[in-house]
Amino acid sequence: MKKIVYALLGVAVLAVAGFLISKALQSSLVYFILPSEYARDTAAFEGKRVRLGGLVQAGSVRFDDAKLHLTFQITDHLKDYPVQYDGAPPDLFQENGGVVIEGRFHDGVFVGDNLLVKHSSDYHPPADGEPIDVDALKESLR
Amino acid sequence: MFDLELGPLGSASVFLAFGLAVYGAVAGIVGAARRDARLQTSARLAAVAGFILATAAVVVMQAALLTNDFSVTYVAGHSRIASPTWVKVVTMWAALEGSILLWSWLLTGYTALLAVTAPLSPLRPYAISIMQAVQVFFLGVLAFIANPFKVVPLPPLDGPGPNELLQNHWMMAVHPLLMYLGFVGLTVPFAYAMAALITRRPGTEWMAQTRRWTLTGWGFLSGAIVAGGWWSYEVLGWGGYWAWDPVENVSFMPWLTATAFIHSVQVQERRRMLKPWNVLLIVTTFSLSILGTFLTRSGVVSSVHAFGNGPVGPAFLVFFLLVTLTAFGLLALRWDDVRDRADLDSIVSREGSFLGVNILFVTLTAAVLLGTLFPLIVEAFTGDKVTVGAPFFDQTTLPLWLLVLALMGIGPLLPWRRAEQQRLARNLALLTGALVVSGALAWLLGVHKVYPALTVALAGYNLMSLYLLLSGALVPRLRLANRGALHVLRSYAVESRRRVGSMIVHFAVVIVAVGVAFSSGYRVDEQIRLDFGSSAEFSGYTLTAVDRFMERTPARISAGAVIEVTRGGRPVTTLRPRLNLFGEAGRTVPTPAVYYTATHDLYLNLNSSVGPDTTFVVLRVVKSPLVTWIWVGGAILLFGTAYSLGGGRRPATARAVAGEKPEGAPA
Repeated sequence: MKKIVYALLGVAVLAVAGFLISKALQSSLVYFILPSEYARDTAAFEGKRVRLGGLVQAGSVRFDDAKLHLTFQITDHLKDYPVQYDGAPPDLFQENGGVVIEGRFHDGVFVGDNLLVKHSSDYHPPADGEPIDVDALKESLR
Repeated sequence: MFDLELGPLGSASVFLAFGLAVYGAVAGIVGAARRDARLQTSARLAAVAGFILATAAVVVMQAALLTNDFSVTYVAGHSRIASPTWVKVVTMWAALEGSILLWSWLLTGYTALLAVTAPLSPLRPYAISIMQAVQVFFLGVLAFIANPFKVVPLPPLDGPGPNELLQNHWMMAVHPLLMYLGFVGLTVPFAYAMAALITRRPGTEWMAQTRRWTLTGWGFLSGAIVAGGWWSYEVLGWGGYWAWDPVENVSFMPWLTATAFIHSVQVQERRRMLKPWNVLLIVTTFSLSILGTFLTRSGVVSSVHAFGNGPVGPAFLVFFLLVTLTAFGLLALRWDDVRDRADLDSIVSREGSFLGVNILFVTLTAAVLLGTLFPLIVEAFTGDKVTVGAPFFDQTTLPLWLLVLALMGIGPLLPWRRAEQQRLARNLALLTGALVVSGALAWLLGVHKVYPALTVALAGYNLMSLYLLLSGALVPRLRLANRGALHVLRSYAVESRRRVGSMIVHFAVVIVAVGVAFSSGYRVDEQIRLDFGSSAEFSGYTLTAVDRFMERTPARISAGAVIEVTRGGRPVTTLRPRLNLFGEAGRTVPTPAVYYTATHDLYLNLNSSVGPDTTFVVLRVVKSPLVTWIWVGGAILLFGTAYSLGGGRRPATARAVAGEKPEGAPA
């Protein structure tokens, strides 16, 4: 009798724990995507926290040093989106360089709060006419 | 003069140590099975000789590092002429091959110590052999897969130096050492548990003989985790100390199961229960330390495709599977000897609370393991790349931590077997009173966030529990003795080291919990732009960028800002956050500057580069309350652990050993 009670109690605890854990997992899973992957299914990522990887588009960087506001276009050669970030560009942040930024998309504008520079030494941007290897880019950014 | 080639010398030491480990593992087991004392002695001598050879390998590696001998692969790959001496010394464990060398060396050291000091028992030869079998793996990896002594045919003139983040702080000399001392220390109870299964002696003998090893290992591991937290606080520049990063998680999981283990062994010592559970916990602890090394070293946590990062990771995976399968297989084979025969009298008892805290720690381990492995599972099945953020770990573990605190207060007050109603009611009333009063006090003083407020409430509750424990022990003694209170306290502290040590450790846990709750719940984090010569307000402080500076040592170049900190017009301190550059090819490492106080820390990190023509700096400014108490609590915890280990052999242990004999032994 006592054993049955303990067993039932154990099962109940496990069920509750399992439920809480799966809920927590769903809400804190952060996808790592490239701009073109966002473009494929914008609705799925709208307003959700993601890590967005890509390259800083040449000529797009604007930094307002009075307000500490940074904007640039992030690209994977297929798609590009504007990024807004409150803060100074980190050391080694440069045009055509790889970045990963954490934040959310709102109507096609990415608002980030954590900007990391990735020095992807093993990735080289494609020459003219060469096919774009998005997977290699993604792998080099993580 | 003769020409000494360090590479071949080091390789030779490693190969010989490997050979001795193989010999010892086989000779010890055969000797024990045949009851051949000479064979057993030769295995113990092999353990000592193995340690001498591993020490030789370490000395050779240090010599190579200190003399900049770039004909040795490891030195060529990870050292640099310009590094200061201490960096060269710790470079030995700044990368994979060297860390395995360090791990192997400590393992041979512990095995040799065991071979020399362990009391003669039927378990000893098997335990030493199992330690040597573990050595076979580590030394085998070192000799055949990741040999740091390989000779470079064309030695470079200089090397790249160790990882910048590692040479940026002296804590790097301490943290890995503590970590490996912890892992290796916990290998000893694992080896004894296996020996207990092999010899069909699953009683308390194996845990009584390894109590010191277990506690030492646990202490080192705790120290390593606190030290690692302080290292990331001082180096990583975000003002935090724990990010639920996979590398942190994998060191944390063995600690969680080891903590469960040091609690549950006491149930077996006193009540002869939880025998299979204890074996399970120590096996899990050991295999989690191997799994952790696999996860971090193979690179799979950052990407499954990084599996190709050399063969060391897969070797650890194979060893992990081997250890786990062998240990569980053995446990299954011996199930009839191990199975519990006693039953829980009442859940409201000491053993009941130990059981509860075990369930909590195992659940914590499961949650951390799930969060750490989940990205791998998702990527394997869907190809999506995901990370599990800190919110998952916070949401799942915070409620469990509060429950741990709650059990920590009531558990030690409960008697074994069954609690007496009247006493229990009185204790519960006092504990609840302390809980409510301190919670209400915190609320009135402005702590309106749920977790910090609950933590304060539980801290008050735990202090009451410690008071009740201490007074419960001291008051009867005071009545009996005609001495002063201080004298009685001192004699109690000397007599009951184990009990008092656990009180100190629990007190330390309360301090750490409060530090964590407040530093994470009430941290203020801002980015501030400062023109040189101008000031900005931050949380009661005035920060003035006075000047920029540039320093150059042979090993590094630093550039930073001089920030004067004042409060209400009075100067407080001058902080110099900086960027360090090690070597020409390296990357710059932001190095924060911290003003430590008892109530809060002021933490400045440079978020912009500083050059001769910069006119302003961007600072990340973090104020975290009570964060220092985490390090203080960690130190107290280590003191408490050391305290309970001090002195002679405890009567309780001796009693447990004496009472053990009839049970579990083959008929």
